[in-house]
Amino acid sequence: MHESAAVSPQNKPAMSKTIVNSICPFCGVGCGIGLVTEKGQVTEVQALRNHPISQGQLCSKGWNTAFGINPRDRITHPLIKQEGQFVKVGWPQALAHIADKLTGYIRGYGADSVGVISSARATNEDNYAAQKFARAVLKTNNIDHCARICHSPSVAGLKQTLGSGAMTNSIDDVDKAEVILVIGADPTENHAIIGGRIMGAKLRGSKLIVIDPRVTRLAQVADLHLQLKLGSNIALLNGLVNIILQQGWQNTEFLSKRCEGLVELQAQVANYPLDEVAKVCGVKGEDLVAAAKLYSQANTAFLAYGMGITQFVSGTNNVIAVSNLALVCGQIGRQGTGINPLRGQNNVQGACDMGCLPNVYPDYQSAADERVRAKFAKAWHTLVAIEPGLTSLGMSNQARKGKFRSQIIFGEDPVVTDPDQNKVAQGIKALDMLVVVELSMTETAKMADVVLPAACFAEKEGTFTNCERRVQLVRQAIAPPFEAKVDWKILAELADFMGMGALMPWQNSEQIFVEMANLSPSFSGMSYALLEQQQGVQWPCNEAQPMGSPCLHGHTFPIGKARLIPVEQTPTAESPDRQYPFWLTTNRLHYHYGCGSMTRQSPLLERETPDGLLFIHPQDARDLGLVDHQAVGVRSRRGYLETRIIYSEQLAPGLLSMPYHFKEAPSNQLTNDAMDLLTEMPELKACAVNLQALDANRQPRSIGEIIEANQQILPLVAGTRTAL
Amino acid sequence: MSNQLFVLNELALLQKHLAKHYELYQIVRDPQGEEAWQENVPVDTLPLYGEAHLPLASAKGFFFAQNEGLYKFDGETFTTIKPKLSPRALFGVQACDLTAIFYQDQFFKDDPYYQARREQSLLVGIDCSGPCEKGFCPIVNAGPQVATDHADLILSNFNQEQQDGLETTWLLIAASNKGVDSLQGLKLEKAPDNWRHLRSEFKEQVLAKFADFTYINTSIEYINDGLVPPELWEELSVRCLACSGCTNLCPTCSCYATSDQTDSESNSQTTVRFWDSCQFDGFQREASGHNPSHLAAQRTERFWFHKFSDDYLPEFGRYGCVGCGRCEQTCPGSIGVHTVMRKIEQQCCN
Repeated sequence: MHESAAVSPQNKPAMSKTIVNSICPFCGVGCGIGLVTEKGQVTEVQALRNHPISQGQLCSKGWNTAFGINPRDRITHPLIKQEGQFVKVGWPQALAHIADKLTGYIRGYGADSVGVISSARATNEDNYAAQKFARAVLKTNNIDHCARICHSPSVAGLKQTLGSGAMTNSIDDVDKAEVILVIGADPTENHAIIGGRIMGAKLRGSKLIVIDPRVTRLAQVADLHLQLKLGSNIALLNGLVNIILQQGWQNTEFLSKRCEGLVELQAQVANYPLDEVAKVCGVKGEDLVAAAKLYSQANTAFLAYGMGITQFVSGTNNVIAVSNLALVCGQIGRQGTGINPLRGQNNVQGACDMGCLPNVYPDYQSAADERVRAKFAKAWHTLVAIEPGLTSLGMSNQARKGKFRSQIIFGEDPVVTDPDQNKVAQGIKALDMLVVVELSMTETAKMADVVLPAACFAEKEGTFTNCERRVQLVRQAIAPPFEAKVDWKILAELADFMGMGALMPWQNSEQIFVEMANLSPSFSGMSYALLEQQQGVQWPCNEAQPMGSPCLHGHTFPIGKARLIPVEQTPTAESPDRQYPFWLTTNRLHYHYGCGSMTRQSPLLERETPDGLLFIHPQDARDLGLVDHQAVGVRSRRGYLETRIIYSEQLAPGLLSMPYHFKEAPSNQLTNDAMDLLTEMPELKACAVNLQALDANRQPRSIGEIIEANQQILPLVAGTRTAL
Repeated sequence: MSNQLFVLNELALLQKHLAKHYELYQIVRDPQGEEAWQENVPVDTLPLYGEAHLPLASAKGFFFAQNEGLYKFDGETFTTIKPKLSPRALFGVQACDLTAIFYQDQFFKDDPYYQARREQSLLVGIDCSGPCEKGFCPIVNAGPQVATDHADLILSNFNQEQQDGLETTWLLIAASNKGVDSLQGLKLEKAPDNWRHLRSEFKEQVLAKFADFTYINTSIEYINDGLVPPELWEELSVRCLACSGCTNLCPTCSCYATSDQTDSESNSQTTVRFWDSCQFDGFQREASGHNPSHLAAQRTERFWFHKFSDDYLPEFGRYGCVGCGRCEQTCPGSIGVHTVMRKIEQQCCN
């Protein structure tokens, strides 16, 4: 058979089409995607049959990638706001301005008055540079990113119980499991290719159990769906553990050899008797027993969970309860098993791994540990930050108190995606200088003092780490348009303007990767050459595991024995009452991603945006006399928005749901920022709202229109108050 | 026209000859092991062809682009954006994909954008010598050998039985006037008359290698007799994520949407078209909000009806499926052609 030689793009005439294989920029599954470029633009995408994860598949977001990065809507030049208007400036002027201001704030108010939010959308190299910039150049641990509001409880919870906070197994293990248990996750919408794998495994005979307050697509095809009441996760999980221990279904050998704390756990879960759990969770006792039996008695059971576990005030404890269940049954440390948090963003795993968290350096080396700080100070040839850092919400709170001056945000839109939108906006307004590095003019970028044009994933080299810890090469397909630059280059140049260019002397992304790998035991065996050769490698990859680690904890846990930790059912911070009689939860749609800034540029995906964004059980709607698509106003203690209702059998009566992708009716007007104390994870999955029909002929107003109208009314209201 | 038969001793000979007059497109393997059609391939690259190298993306996009500008409006006049291209040769197209091009030629017969690309293209087909991983082309009359009205040049490997592998012999058929013209200046020996017959014999040998796909035939009958119960379509459609992979990769799917893109710098508007998918809820939704296929089950049924219904035979002379099996590979919900047809057969038999 004739084998052709590889055709490298350099050999080709400039006008022709080229295909560059890279990694999809949307969710944490990490599918391979072929970028077809023509005349310096990505015009098409192709699915890649040989990619170890996606195997020739993509979701609707992936297929529409070219629309999301087209140059029409991109920010073209650095912009500085002058008298409320953005003015185009050159890079030197913009960077000198930022450097000057930052230096001033640090001198005047201390290094902890400034901070960086890096991007889970950017590469590992960008993220490594961001935390180094914060710790070595700014000298602060104020570095965070959006994992705060997705999987910070996974990192914190699993760190306590196992010693490592990532997915323990591989996506491939879905195919090797006899039982698949999905809790608080909607993978066919959010991690479509994993969702598909789960449906495929079910077709081939695996048993599927879904625990979710909504009738998700997986719930529809499942063998068993426990439609629990919102926020009753711990009661249900403790109840399952109690059944398993009572019936003797636990893995005794695994418990005695590999775990500690069984006695305490057993005593505590005894307080979760079947009948009571069934009542609290609103599920049938027999279904609880069936689920407990299926999961515990399987030779291999793969457990996956998502935001329905983490986004609660009890987020960390929810994760611990999940961990308890898996450990009691010994469903970990072997192929086809594991505790598997499904990560949301393409590189949220990597942004965590790279130390873009206030409390850890790369590879989760503690920032509180003097030896760790000394190690990095020595390697970087500079002094590093000592004081504990602030989380993103911490920075926002400090800003509202006037104690935090300036923030650089890379590729995030917290005004749309963070809880309690009005409070977030107040925090941003309280800053002396907000710098936003973005592709397009997001709602947050509009509020910035300086906006810098970023390069997108197709315009850079580097690596992304998917949810199964697979570090994969991202290959540059096109040059950044206009004046756009890669994040790490922006940071290196800014460091130079602050007189510390020597700290970030890199010529290419590979040099950053080498520096990172030298300082990170879990990455010490990795190189770009190995990643190329292996189509990605799963960490840890070092002398002990030179080809990486598809399955963690086979013989021991990083903390020796795993810990069983008793946790109690905690009520949500808010629950329905007479004034706000409905539960509101949040969900995502297959067609859209995050704040929608990329997916909504696709005319096809935008066409799939429902004409109403509040999903309601038809019975609730009929009780209120609301017809399908009726315009309504929705109010919580924190905000108000208008949209149309959509009848949905996915919900139980009493529970409403909204996707968070849409800036015109942002669910975060309503959501609660009450936090999980350990991680500051806000309770995005549960709050109380009321709704009322709008007048028959009224269209729902966008949030912008509502705010504008309020600004005209508010002075009147205030005046009335003063008069009173 | 009557086909002319020649003997070709080396593929490279024809390849180099064509490269003088055409931009050469071939299936190429990249460092990650992906096989795809690439243009301007250096002449010394031997082509990949046949059943072992059916690329995941067919040649559809060369004629019906995934995304292209149609016309521009500057506020006063509309200007058509004509595809500008030089003559090109697609070297080594498999029979199924040529059948799909033949099908699309009819669908797009009055489409100037498609036709502009088609007119500039020389199709060089190569017979497959066995079944590919997911293919069932014989069932839908789309292979494994290239039909003489589907390509300009057809190559058939006449060396299959020889073991040394050094000397290769190919039958080269000039199947169209364009094909005959493309060979001008190339000295070729006429092939013996019985080679046409030999090729038919090879075909029988190759057909014997295919697995039993009776379930597909049976299910086609069930679909046409309206015997698939609505519940089955519903059961299947729950697994459709509406990713659009099947319609994107299906070499005969031809639906597109258009959109106007404003360029604020030049104050002009460009109307672009791009591949659409009947699996999207919005595909058939009307301005009033009414949607004749508002249920996923209706959309799933509609897709398979379009691939296998006798209703389309008068217009296209064949089914809309060419048996390449790409939908089976790309569907995250496991409702590609094999799974669906097997399910229909099982369910309807009971």
